[in-house]
Amino acid sequence: MLEIKNLHAKVDKKPILKGINLTIQEGEIHAVMGKNGSGKSTLSNIVTGKEGYDITSGDIKFENQSILDWSPEIRSLNGIFMSFQYPVVMPGVNNTYFLKAALNAKRKYNGEKELDAASFLKIIKEKLKELKMDPSYLQRAVNDGFSGGEKKRNEILQMLTLEPKLALLDETDSGLDIDALKIISDGVNKSRSSKRSFLVITHYQRLLKYIEPDVVHVLIDGKIVKSGDKDLALQLEEKGYGWLER
Amino acid sequence: MRDSNYKAEFEKILAREYFSSNFDLIRKNAFKQFLDNGISKKYWGNLRFTNISALKKNTFRVSEASDSPPENFEYPEPIIKEKYKIVFYNGHYQRNLTNLPDSIKILTNHEYYSETQKKVMQPSSSPFDLLNTAFMDSGMCLVIDKNIEINNPILLTFINSGEDKLMIFPRIHIDLGKSSSIQLLEHHLGSETGNFSNATTFFTLRENSFLKHIRLQMDTSQAINMGNVHLEQDQNSKYYLSHFGLGSDLGSISICSNLNGKGAECHLSSLGLTSGHQHLDAHTLINHKSPHCTSSQNFKTVLKDSSSGVFNGKVVVNKNAQKTDSTQSNKNILLSNNSKMNSNPQLVIDADDVKCSHGSSTGEIDPDALFYLRSRGINEKTAKSMLIHGFISEILDTVDNHGLKNFIKVNFDKWIEN
Repeated sequence: MLEIKNLHAKVDKKPILKGINLTIQEGEIHAVMGKNGSGKSTLSNIVTGKEGYDITSGDIKFENQSILDWSPEIRSLNGIFMSFQYPVVMPGVNNTYFLKAALNAKRKYNGEKELDAASFLKIIKEKLKELKMDPSYLQRAVNDGFSGGEKKRNEILQMLTLEPKLALLDETDSGLDIDALKIISDGVNKSRSSKRSFLVITHYQRLLKYIEPDVVHVLIDGKIVKSGDKDLALQLEEKGYGWLER
Repeated sequence: MRDSNYKAEFEKILAREYFSSNFDLIRKNAFKQFLDNGISKKYWGNLRFTNISALKKNTFRVSEASDSPPENFEYPEPIIKEKYKIVFYNGHYQRNLTNLPDSIKILTNHEYYSETQKKVMQPSSSPFDLLNTAFMDSGMCLVIDKNIEINNPILLTFINSGEDKLMIFPRIHIDLGKSSSIQLLEHHLGSETGNFSNATTFFTLRENSFLKHIRLQMDTSQAINMGNVHLEQDQNSKYYLSHFGLGSDLGSISICSNLNGKGAECHLSSLGLTSGHQHLDAHTLINHKSPHCTSSQNFKTVLKDSSSGVFNGKVVVNKNAQKTDSTQSNKNILLSNNSKMNSNPQLVIDADDVKCSHGSSTGEIDPDALFYLRSRGINEKTAKSMLIHGFISEILDTVDNHGLKNFIKVNFDKWIEN
């Protein structure tokens, strides 16, 4: 599904990623753990196509195609999704309008018929229920006046709506209380399938209690220094990152 | 337009037989003041960043009786089908097209000044104020008695048409009696001509009165439209303005409000959309003269191409205006590298128990928001349009009338598409 090869990237001439190698197969959940500043968010931003990064070498392949030249929208339309660490507040942009535009863009790209307002609302109301979100959400502006938990739930709602092939969850657990964490993990777990892959980026182990990864990678100073199974996360919880730092 | 052109046109105004010579001295005085400093940016600090080239390079003549609408003139469909309307054509008030309820008294300026025994208003906060006093050549006054509530909006249409470049100086007085309320929808439109319209409107809002004022400036891209609004607000009166600057080559809205009575409120919302080499100005002066008054200003501009804009907003809180509540915000989006905005929010406070805030920001579309939308599969063009839509929606939402809101939206969409 996703193959990152020897990826080097700079921000403002400062090297952030220093040779990332990471392969995620169809249906797998990978976790990338690391401290602040280790390059976790840079990695997910680059995969999603955010501008402002200078990729000096390496490649990213999605379904065996290099995506470095793809715009963010093309990546999304092909099935890449990122749940933002800091979802952007957009005053005046209505949630329903935004979600419908996003879903219909995808349907159009896939040669499917665009949904009318009624059929869209039916789908979305179902998903709102799943995430225990209030229907008044639909009248509000995107993330405007949302609490931290609401913002993250909104990210997952978008994920459930767009049904990506690869979902990157960037610090989805940060700022969540335990109830919200459970709701969100349930949402993610329900959407697990043999066709869908996840890359869960997190600082702490606690999210991985709910979303069980197949592989855990430790990112330190722009490099993956260790990979292992889910027990590696527990080890990190216990010992911290110090023992892996050179 | 040079001084010599202004002088020649001024002589024509003075020579008009049907004008009362009572006004001559006042006209001359204002004209002299105008000539003393012209539209000098050095003298008129507020115009420092205003691109007045459209005014300099064109020459206009005053509108004559012969510039009335031709018999077969086809009036454009009114934007909303309201029964109450007032029409100005090339600055001439069209009595035959006017329809107002009986509770509104219509007077000429001359009648108004003699009936109300008011002094002729002679504002001097800008050269355009002075020009209006010097040249006031048409106008109309609405006097609304106390306790009158008119729910249907009154549509005030200014149409410019014809071959020649005209300059027109309507002067309008609207006196709203105690506890009365009206809604005024001012629509400026033109055909191919590039007229210079410099209208001044004086509102007197008595105690407890309510005025909702929507102003759509949609002149052609050759026109110059300077709109000057002066308000005197008594106790607990409320004024709401929604201004949409869409048209003209050079356009300006200038609002001076004196909050004279306790608890008076003045709320200004404005949206400017500019393109080409267009320049739009917004000037405000809110004078808090009494305690417990509220004022809010929300001015937004979106600029394309090589267009430019100015926001000059000032709130003055006088010594005795305790418990003033005032906000002032100016936000602008630049869609091109060549567009330019000058923002100057000012606050002068002489009282100590007040709540005042002001802020200004100008920048490109938020790149993070743009990325967010694109990462959801929405293409760049649509994403930008969604964000600009979001940006302006706050101003659009100040218009309740559904049909009108839609009309503005359609024009906005056209603007964004081009």
